[in-house]
Amino acid sequence: MLKNTILFSLLALSLTGCVGLNTVSMTQVPAQRDNVITTTSSSWNFIGINFSNAFVDDAIDKLKGQCPTGKIEGVYTKHQTTGYVLMFKREVIVSAYCNEV
Amino acid sequence: MPIKLKSILGLSFLLVGGCSQLHHVHIGDIDQSQGTLTPFTIKVNEFGFDAAKAAQIGAEVAKSSSTSEDLELVAFILTISNFGPKTGNPVYNDAYADEVLSEVIKACPSKKLTGLTSVREATNVGPVSGEVVRINGYCINTTQTN
Repeated sequence: MLKNTILFSLLALSLTGCVGLNTVSMTQVPAQRDNVITTTSSSWNFIGINFSNAFVDDAIDKLKGQCPTGKIEGVYTKHQTTGYVLMFKREVIVSAYCNEV
Repeated sequence: MPIKLKSILGLSFLLVGGCSQLHHVHIGDIDQSQGTLTPFTIKVNEFGFDAAKAAQIGAEVAKSSSTSEDLELVAFILTISNFGPKTGNPVYNDAYADEVLSEVIKACPSKKLTGLTSVREATNVGPVSGEVVRINGYCINTTQTN
């Protein structure tokens, strides 16, 4: 009985989705789309306890660093949370186009 | 478990659980081609309150079992009454975020804005929370050419 319970639990765990898509947003996409830039920024927590959302600002700084003198356009932002056992990873994934003027 | 120890553990967990929650992020286009950028942040905050959670906490710390049962029933009624999609705790003012537009315009004397990032977040401590809307952005310091 115990063996079956463990096996069933493992099967149920393997079927369980572990990524939650929180939000998605996109800005106007430019005609010139040659130079794609991407960045991610994440924050780990234990059972959902967080003390800061500053990782979002890191993503913006990294994005700016990849296009220091141009226009960053067509910004696609994805905010997702991945659950592991008792641990959660909050993540912001950004892709955009860098166009020099 | 003795009720006092249970209460202390519950309250400690509430304090430790004072946490920052991220609901929504939107990053806008960033134009770094027209000049240097000066960052600014606009933040508006409103008091959020989860009455069902407050009743549930009351039920857990109540000394008599009858009071505890009554509070559990109250918590259940409040939970099903407020069931449905929501972001964060309920607030008492539905217009608290409306002032961000005027604040953003005031933040930039040059009137040239770029890189507007909208963040909807909350800071929770037990049943109460600060429901925050934060706008980060940059003013473009246009270089003068003769």
